[in-house]
Amino acid sequence: MRSRAEIAVCLPILLGPFSLIAGTSELPLTAQPSSSVCTSISSTEEFLSVKGEIGQCGGRLIISKRSEPKTLNPLTAIDNISRDVIGLMTADLIHVNRDSQQPEAALAKSWTVSPDGRKYILRLRHGLRFSDGYPFDADDVVFTFQSYLDERTHAPQRDLLMISGKPIAVKKIDAYSVSFTLAQPYAAAERLFDSIAILPRHLLQRLYEAGQLMNIWGLNTPPTQIAGLGPFRLKEYTPGQRIIFERNPYYWKSDAKRQRLPYLDGIAAVFVTNNDAEALRFESGETDVISRLSVANFAVLERDQQRRKFRLYDLGPGLEYSFLFFNLNDLSSDILPSLKEKQSWFRTVAFRQAVSSAIDRESIIRLVYRGRAYPLSVQVTPGNKLWMNRSIPPPVRSLPRARELLRQAHFSWGSGGSLHDAQGQRVQFSILVNTENVQRVQIATLIQQDLKELGMGVSLVSLESHTFLHHVFTSYEYETAIMTLVDPDPDPNTEINVLSSKGGTHVWHLKSNNTPSWQDEIDLLMQKQSITLNLGERKRIFDRVQDLLWQNMPAVFLISPDILVGAKNRVGNFHPVILGDYTLWNVEQLFIHKEPGAERGS
Amino acid sequence: MRFLLRRAMHTLLILVGASLVSFSLVNLAPGDFFDQMKVNPRISQGTLASLRSQYGLDRPLPVRYLQWVRSVINGQWGFSFAYNSPAGPILWSRSGKTLLLTGVATLLAWSLALPLGGWAGARPGSSIDWLTRGTVAVLLATPELVLALLLLLFAVRTGYFPAGGLTSSEYVPSGLWDQTKDITRHVFLPSICLAAGLLPLLLTHIRTAVSEAFESPYIEAARGHGIPFRRLLLRHVLPLAANPLISLFGLSLGMMISSSLLIEAVFSWPGLGQLMLEAIQQRDFYLVVDTAVLSTAFLIVGNLIADVLLYASDPRIRTE
Amino acid sequence: MTLGKVPWLAMSVLAICHLSVLLAGFFAPGSFEVQNRNLAFAPPTRIHFVDAQGRFHLRPFVYRWVLRPGSFAEYEENQQIGYPLHFFVPGAEYKVLGIFNSRQHLFGTGEETRIFLLGTDAYGRDLFSRLLYGGMISLFTGLLAATASALLGLVLGGLAGYYGHWVDEVTMRIAEIFLAMPWLYLLLAVRALLPLHVDPQATFFLLIGVLGVIGWARPARLVRGIVLTAKEREYVLAARSFGAPDLYLLRTHILPFASGAALNQMALYIPQYILAEVTLSFFGLGVSEPIPSWGNMLNDLQHYLIWGSYWWLFSPAIVLVAVLLAYYRLFSFFKVNSFTF
Repeated sequence: MRSRAEIAVCLPILLGPFSLIAGTSELPLTAQPSSSVCTSISSTEEFLSVKGEIGQCGGRLIISKRSEPKTLNPLTAIDNISRDVIGLMTADLIHVNRDSQQPEAALAKSWTVSPDGRKYILRLRHGLRFSDGYPFDADDVVFTFQSYLDERTHAPQRDLLMISGKPIAVKKIDAYSVSFTLAQPYAAAERLFDSIAILPRHLLQRLYEAGQLMNIWGLNTPPTQIAGLGPFRLKEYTPGQRIIFERNPYYWKSDAKRQRLPYLDGIAAVFVTNNDAEALRFESGETDVISRLSVANFAVLERDQQRRKFRLYDLGPGLEYSFLFFNLNDLSSDILPSLKEKQSWFRTVAFRQAVSSAIDRESIIRLVYRGRAYPLSVQVTPGNKLWMNRSIPPPVRSLPRARELLRQAHFSWGSGGSLHDAQGQRVQFSILVNTENVQRVQIATLIQQDLKELGMGVSLVSLESHTFLHHVFTSYEYETAIMTLVDPDPDPNTEINVLSSKGGTHVWHLKSNNTPSWQDEIDLLMQKQSITLNLGERKRIFDRVQDLLWQNMPAVFLISPDILVGAKNRVGNFHPVILGDYTLWNVEQLFIHKEPGAERGS
Repeated sequence: MRFLLRRAMHTLLILVGASLVSFSLVNLAPGDFFDQMKVNPRISQGTLASLRSQYGLDRPLPVRYLQWVRSVINGQWGFSFAYNSPAGPILWSRSGKTLLLTGVATLLAWSLALPLGGWAGARPGSSIDWLTRGTVAVLLATPELVLALLLLLFAVRTGYFPAGGLTSSEYVPSGLWDQTKDITRHVFLPSICLAAGLLPLLLTHIRTAVSEAFESPYIEAARGHGIPFRRLLLRHVLPLAANPLISLFGLSLGMMISSSLLIEAVFSWPGLGQLMLEAIQQRDFYLVVDTAVLSTAFLIVGNLIADVLLYASDPRIRTE
Repeated sequence: MTLGKVPWLAMSVLAICHLSVLLAGFFAPGSFEVQNRNLAFAPPTRIHFVDAQGRFHLRPFVYRWVLRPGSFAEYEENQQIGYPLHFFVPGAEYKVLGIFNSRQHLFGTGEETRIFLLGTDAYGRDLFSRLLYGGMISLFTGLLAATASALLGLVLGGLAGYYGHWVDEVTMRIAEIFLAMPWLYLLLAVRALLPLHVDPQATFFLLIGVLGVIGWARPARLVRGIVLTAKEREYVLAARSFGAPDLYLLRTHILPFASGAALNQMALYIPQYILAEVTLSFFGLGVSEPIPSWGNMLNDLQHYLIWGSYWWLFSPAIVLVAVLLAYYRLFSFFKVNSFTF
């Protein structure tokens, strides 16, 4: 606490004189383009021209967010909402196209890789400017990576930029080229650059030297002290209500008619407390786009589509998976009564397989998701078209098979049909779920009934989410639990943390002394795929990982829900995808159709 | 003067008590703010441990309490992890909005309850009495949440009122008049909800107080002297019934604050209640303690007002 | 003072509710936990006297709901086979008052439940049976917890008001802290102190305990205010000057005044407590699936956008409102008459 108090006092003092410097420096502050009129691009800037429908300039988009962003600092932002909002204001060197899921040139116009896959040279676009008009060059890039890698900053992405324990070495070659050297070859290394927001050195150098970067760009920071390379820049933040962005007049993308993007004059994000309230705002016409709908709300709004002039989209399964997992942690003391005995069931592969084949995934999909979900055998969802192992059969419910598996593992049934283990102990356990998520509670209720048919006594424990996470991640006081994880990217590298036994989200076995041999193999394979540069070879390795998961079933993967979004008809170029925040990935191209009678925000 | 001084001491004592209780209870609740980061596969355990120690979450409770007290005296009110900034400024902007909502609602509830309850108490069995009792019964039986959601649905389906929030999602309307109009439109439904939650309590107690006052011998006597009914009610009965009503007023202020918690969440009203809910959900430690202490403070101020009024109005209490 | 009319209607509503809830197993045609997965959100079963061929039957019968193919929850009657309704039929086994086993049900269609008087919920469970079983927890939690609060408030408030000085000071300061504490997260902490699974019986007593303790402060303050005024009244002062002992004074002259306020407060608490159970289920303190309570049945209604779709899900709310109105009527009667006894 003491250090915090000091920092808070220091910050205004540090920023005070700094804003003066920024204000008095001889910036080429060109006249700002007036809104609603498209500007054509200049020849001194190397623009990125994007495909898509030619839009109309002007207008504002209103979106909703389920909570406030916590910070505008790209270095420390963790929660999705902060990251989405920061994404509007910043840009990266190489960007993973959210539609094609492939890396594409962004601030770097091109790149080359050395034959050993360890050295990347990125060439930057010329003549670009930050949203405050200050020019961008290689120094900003070097500074950015320095900042992310600085231990004092505690940037969450720092771990990502450490390849086998060593930081990526970043060197300026000239004003518009930068080299990146990796300690080891790394598969799909281009993807590392995605979402590393390039920071303005001219604004932040001093703070970096003072070790204060983790405190920059809070929500109360004046907009003039924030600059980025994204399509929008901060205009105004009203605590508890909304945050407003305006067009970045220096943005570096153009449409096919050589008009400078973005089309929109601005974006307002209003803060709404929950999913239902968000749907309500959308229904009432107060917001233009809704990023994530629950199935029930989708069904209700669907009927209103014509009358209210909006359209809903079912994008199919995303990269989200729900799964039931057993507490496999190696625990020294018995933290829950008879957890040790129960763990001996949980550690039996046949037991887990029996549970999996007893679960009626079709009912889950029909009753909980109204058909808008997909059954899973392993964690790779059908949304991940490139990496899904199609040789793995879809899960089928079979009680006879479940009984057979249990019988082979020396379980038996007593009078009244209750299941007992070899020691004669009744098979009873609890499923932990978090109450906030209605779908997961419903899934658990169905599973409870499914397993009852096998003679297992299953009780439900629903806790609010922090307590839930504490039980799963910190105290390990649970028997089984249901959770949902979302992959940020289809690449298998993002799965290392979940699948390998040392990973931080290896939820079912976080505390491990000894691992089964198949887990050792998975660890090895995950490590191997991360340094394999050949795509076909990598795919074979990851297919093998999925086979191992399906055979040994460390967790019972259940379903992947469809991504459901919506937008008003007047939003042009709306092209939602299953990645990221689904709707705003091409925000610079979104525009408002000026139909007769439609309100023009001004 | 001595009375006020004594009350101030009490206030301080209660606040210290509330902060101690909050501090230890939040600490008992499992998990902390950084637990939610564990789900993010991109953050390592080492980073989390260093974050925890950086924010002092690994220090013993008494030390943290004393540090918090010091920062309250500094006006910083601890530190919000979620907002990554001192908690003070966040608290002030939110409290203002809660006071606006509860102020409007209190005014609404009392201006309805006083005439209705007073009349019903004075004339038991009259049509107004029946109306009052009916209202009480209906409002009692309608859960506040249901009422709030119904009003919200009504707003969306008809489009007469905005679906929550404090201002329009469009850009700020220019001019003070437009802004006031905009906020009035937004404050209308939540304040109705809040007032509806309080009305049964107010109506029942006002009715009881007034009808009890009517039973007292000197009112009987006054009635016997032929004093007109309205004069009797205003000059004799109301002062007699004032004592419980004044305590009730203080109580109602506090109740408003606590029930606004729920209403704010439903209507996305950016007040203290919503902030507290968010802070609790995220285990934003100091912000939870701050909001708890602050809502305690509001309640106590309500009681203080009631006590001062009571002190001024009833000489019998002054003699103690 | 007029003696209010005795509220026979309210009393009979309450008696019927409590009795049928106590004997839920007998009145419910089915089990509260069996999921009919092909019958999610099925509307209430229609009871027929005339069959599809136009023939009249003396004994009422029902048709089975069949899911319309391809739809999520649209049903039509299968009019091929009618299932006659019988009274006093054997069915699923249940326990009477937690003691004897029985298979007798008031009415039904035999072993398999094909009659859903109030439709089904998201899992195809019979809402009518769940409503009856759910009332066990909800009604008695509300009643007992409100009694506990009122008693606690009466005792503490009475003591504080009568003895004054430091007793008053300490009690009222604690009461103020209690009133002001946002007990939402107080409950989070309580959950942390409990073992992971709490069986339904323990949950029931826990709910009563938690609610009872949380609510003492408000009645205590009201009672104290009343005692404060009461003890200044002439006849109390007179009695005291004659040397009447404290206990006597409290019992005969002061508590009768205060108990009106306590009862009154209790009337207000019962509905609040029945609803508080909804919140408590959310924090993992309520009874968990598949055991029903009106609280967790009402939880489904939080998704207000689907309100128009399945009107029968409101049945717990309607029963709740009826019960609350009856309680209110009953207690306003008590309140009026507590002064004349």
